[in-house]
Amino acid sequence: MNKFEYVNASSVKSATEQLQSDGSVRIKAGGIDILDELKERTINPKRLVNIKTVGGLKEIKEVKDSLHIGTLVTLSELASNKQVKTLFPALAEAALGAATPQIRNVATIGGNICQRPRCWYYRSEEFSCLKKGGNECHAHLGDNRFHAIFGNDKCAMVHPSATAVALVALQAKLKIEDTKGHRIVEIDNFFVKPEENAKAENILKPTEIITEVILAKPAVGSRNFYIKLKEKQSFDWPMADVAVAMEMAGGVCKAARVVLGAAAPVPWRAVAVEKALVGKKVDASVAEEVSRLAIEGAKPMSHNGYKLKVFETIVARALSVVASGDFSSKEGF
Amino acid sequence: MTVGQSVNRKEGRDKVTGAAKYVDDYHFQDIWYGKTVRSTVAHAQITGIEFLAGFDWSTVVLADYRDITSRNIVALIYDDQPLLAESLVRHVYEPILLIAAPTKELAELAAKHVHITYKKLPAVLTIEDSLSAEQKIFGDDNVFKSYTVTRGNVEDAFQSAEVVVEETYHVGHQEQLYIETNGIIATAKSDGTILIQGSMQCPYYVHRAIKELFGLPDEKVVVVQNVTGGGFGGKEEFPSVVAGHAALLAKKCGHPVKIVYERGEDFVASTKRHPAVIRHRTGLTRDGRLIAAEIDLTFDGGAYCTLSPVVLSRGVIHALGPYKCPNIRVTGKVVATNTPPNGAFRGFGVPQACFASEMHMENISRKLDISPVELRRKNMLHQGDYTLTGQQLTYSVGTQQVLDAVLERSDYLARRSHKQPELSNKRYGIGLSFYYHGGGFTGSGEEKIKGQAAVELTAEGTVRILTASTEIGQGTRTIFSQIVAQELGLRPEDVEFEENDTSKVPDSGPTVASRTCMVVGRVVQMAAASLKEEMAKRIASLAQCQASEIQFEGRHLLWQKDGEIISVSFAEAAERCMSRTGFLKTTAQYSSPPGIKWDDVTYSGDAYPVYAYAADVVEVEVDMDTFEVKILKVTTATDVGKAINPTLAEGQIEGGTVQALGYGLFEEVAWKDGKILNNRLTNYIIPTSLDIPDMETVLIENPYPYGPYGAKGIGELPMDGGAPALVAAIADAVGAVVTEIPATPERIMEAMEKLAVEA
Ligand SMILES: Cc1cc2nc3c(=O)[nH]c(=O)nc-3n(C[C@H](O)[C@H](O)[C@H](O)COP(=O)(O)OP(=O)(O)OC[C@H]3O[C@@H](n4cnc5c(N)ncnc54)[C@H](O)[C@@H]3O)c2cc1C
Repeated sequence: MNKFEYVNASSVKSATEQLQSDGSVRIKAGGIDILDELKERTINPKRLVNIKTVGGLKEIKEVKDSLHIGTLVTLSELASNKQVKTLFPALAEAALGAATPQIRNVATIGGNICQRPRCWYYRSEEFSCLKKGGNECHAHLGDNRFHAIFGNDKCAMVHPSATAVALVALQAKLKIEDTKGHRIVEIDNFFVKPEENAKAENILKPTEIITEVILAKPAVGSRNFYIKLKEKQSFDWPMADVAVAMEMAGGVCKAARVVLGAAAPVPWRAVAVEKALVGKKVDASVAEEVSRLAIEGAKPMSHNGYKLKVFETIVARALSVVASGDFSSKEGF
Repeated sequence: MTVGQSVNRKEGRDKVTGAAKYVDDYHFQDIWYGKTVRSTVAHAQITGIEFLAGFDWSTVVLADYRDITSRNIVALIYDDQPLLAESLVRHVYEPILLIAAPTKELAELAAKHVHITYKKLPAVLTIEDSLSAEQKIFGDDNVFKSYTVTRGNVEDAFQSAEVVVEETYHVGHQEQLYIETNGIIATAKSDGTILIQGSMQCPYYVHRAIKELFGLPDEKVVVVQNVTGGGFGGKEEFPSVVAGHAALLAKKCGHPVKIVYERGEDFVASTKRHPAVIRHRTGLTRDGRLIAAEIDLTFDGGAYCTLSPVVLSRGVIHALGPYKCPNIRVTGKVVATNTPPNGAFRGFGVPQACFASEMHMENISRKLDISPVELRRKNMLHQGDYTLTGQQLTYSVGTQQVLDAVLERSDYLARRSHKQPELSNKRYGIGLSFYYHGGGFTGSGEEKIKGQAAVELTAEGTVRILTASTEIGQGTRTIFSQIVAQELGLRPEDVEFEENDTSKVPDSGPTVASRTCMVVGRVVQMAAASLKEEMAKRIASLAQCQASEIQFEGRHLLWQKDGEIISVSFAEAAERCMSRTGFLKTTAQYSSPPGIKWDDVTYSGDAYPVYAYAADVVEVEVDMDTFEVKILKVTTATDVGKAINPTLAEGQIEGGTVQALGYGLFEEVAWKDGKILNNRLTNYIIPTSLDIPDMETVLIENPYPYGPYGAKGIGELPMDGGAPALVAAIADAVGAVVTEIPATPERIMEAMEKLAVEA
């Protein structure tokens, strides 16, 4: 890695004041991903601003009908927080399923959403790709077993964040600050597709930081859940994951969000499934039937056709769990 | 009795407390750091090396092949691998240029300012392309080495076969993944001596490589093994490369030079297990007796020969597994490709061969509808039988015992008839493997090496072992001290070790081939026995008794005089023994057991002095929607001859089995254009502790008359059988046999689709 300055920020203001529009100063939260990026030499910043020293960003607060989650809340805290577990099991599960206990103890929610792709062409010094200013996506002609099946025409990375999948299902909002003030952004508008900007995964400017994740408490009758498939049982990102949030009345679905992870360059909404669920009394057989719509429009590549079957399966399972409300049966999935 | 006890690991405390010093823990004031500039293309002519402006080149020292004073080779078998590429590169990551700098960062920055231009040549990246020999990259046919072993009359036997079963099996690369990456510090002394220290399995291999590189006599090269964080074969031949690089830089810059690889570099630069394509064609009677077999193995050697011929030869000899077949022909070749050279990895050609042969048994058992157990019982080797090289097995044949033990302990028969739950999408499966592994070098190897070890008395009145066998986590020091303590009536803690330094210890041969306990352990035992004899002689002459009357027991020497028992402490006896000479040291040298015969030309005879045998049972649960495999339980039974230290023996078996399960289920190197895509632990998947279930390890002791206390080599054996037992269990669960590992969900799905099409 290159030599860089390391500064502890004492406040959001002191952190944002140091950021530069050319991206030469980077934020470090838990440091799990950014240290990898430094060691892998995908970035060479002049300065690293540590925000773990900023007060006031580590809390989970109830404000009226919302939960405000500070950006420094760790994945372990998310996974064990009582309110998160009862109101947003999808988020708690996504956090719990990530990485390892040691990593979850330091990894933050803000850092998790902003972590860079795991694409092996992107992470390797030996391949210059669209994300790094090159002019091709090597996944198209190379081994693409872990790559996207949706939205993969330009860059075929998959978004790596598990919490992002849950947060999109839960329609979170993000509080983003810079030296001039703050803005609140709907998470649906946060992630960007490669067609819009191949070099970044979201709309954050190099001068901005996320300070809060805001979740409206779900309406009565709503349920949500998350399921992840992985190659090994620890230390692993999802091979495929899904979050479902459903509003129900008398067993009938009024509205639903079904979001696929590791499927596309952004958390991917299975809109056809969402639509098909509305007005239906969801049970295991309905779940199975509509799950086939999850892969509508998919364009699998040479090595990732297996993901079609996998997504159908985990969507069906997640829907059954949500419909039954029996979250304990997730054991063994 | 200390042999047979699970005494504590000799170096365990230092490792656990952090006191152990690995190569990267050594800091010399004037040390510089080495960096390797590597090829980025698979096959090309180097057309130019540019040193870009914007870097102060006076701050670093550069070295290339022109700085090598004698031979630009990594000395091993064929001497075809240059230490640094000259005009041609034959694989991505091939070292071209070296940089030394006072800091790591500066060396790295310099490397970024080197620009190498190439004229690309067509690259051969697969076994198939190499075999077609359209592009010739080694000799006329791209073949490094081939073997044929024949017994009986294969053609005629196939004529009379009632059933013929044929299948091709594929296995990929596997990385050793020792915890400590490769690292060396080299110092060039003013008298011309080169001093190497670092992480390695075989100090004398490095010693020879450095001598060849600089044309130096024995005494001008000193190699010291530091505490080494694992090897698994990955530090058998490869440290010669790192040491050569560091030595070249040290000579040129006048500072000690340290090269410690980061994981990513270690992964791409170092050797891996050979990928292989193995075809079996077997003729049987309808009731399942093997009568004819044709086995063809092709290994991918990579760009240079390294140890490929010997890896292949072991694969060829083990190609059939521990079975009898009177008519058999095994052909094997290892071919060149423009990929990084493959080399030694625990198992050394057998895991590939064993996966194919045991999966073939699974296929035969399905085709003939004979239970896997019955099929094995019908064909297994027993004492008195002949192997495919015509070796008659006359002792220590534990085939029957390991099979019986694993079946009983795992309750295989009852569990196999277990009914699948009807409503669940999970399927249970149980699989068996049965295998063997020859201990020590193949054929006449041990006769050529003539491994030595010595034992001496110390000034403190204890004993010191001098051996080049390295401790790499497998327990060399613990078991050697148990063996010597046992011979001399001492405790293992009374035994110490000379530093593993080529200027101090004799060449015991390399720490490879499951030979450390069985071969060198025996030599150590012999050296201790002569020390005992010599001490007894000297004490007897002082005490005026018969040497044969002196007992060594409880850290004392005892004898009777005039009806009275006289006892002298070992320390005191040692002092008396050394009073005139000042020292007492005995050396022993290996010689093969009587009657061993091997013919290198016909590849027939006694391939190994003895084999260790094992059987595994693996139980799995497969998710029928996603084809995820969960390993539920693993049971192994191993005929170890004698467990010098049962805990260490079990540790070897369990650790090897985990590596084997990883090989079968997860581990796969992904490539593009000759480059490795997953050179990190986040995407080269190995099992974590959550992926490994309970293991039951049964040790069976069927003594080998020429091993120390009956012990046989078991270092590699446990790497052989895990993958086929696992894949057989998957086949039992899903009904289809996967013929390529790792058995990923995609491959399980393909196997099921293929089966559906055939049906
Ligand atoms: C072995 C392993 C397995 C893993 N498995 C999973 C998994 O299954 N699922 C999953 O989701 N993740 C997984 N991860 C990723 C891990 O969870 C993330 O790297 C971690 O959450 C990042 O958080 P951090 O606080 O350490 O971020 P950092 O590394 O500090 O930062 C990450 C990025 O976000 C930026 N950033 C951080 N905070 C802010 C902020 N407040 N505002 C703006 N930008 C910010 C940084 O500049 C940097 O670019 C795994 C990681 C490892 C090593």
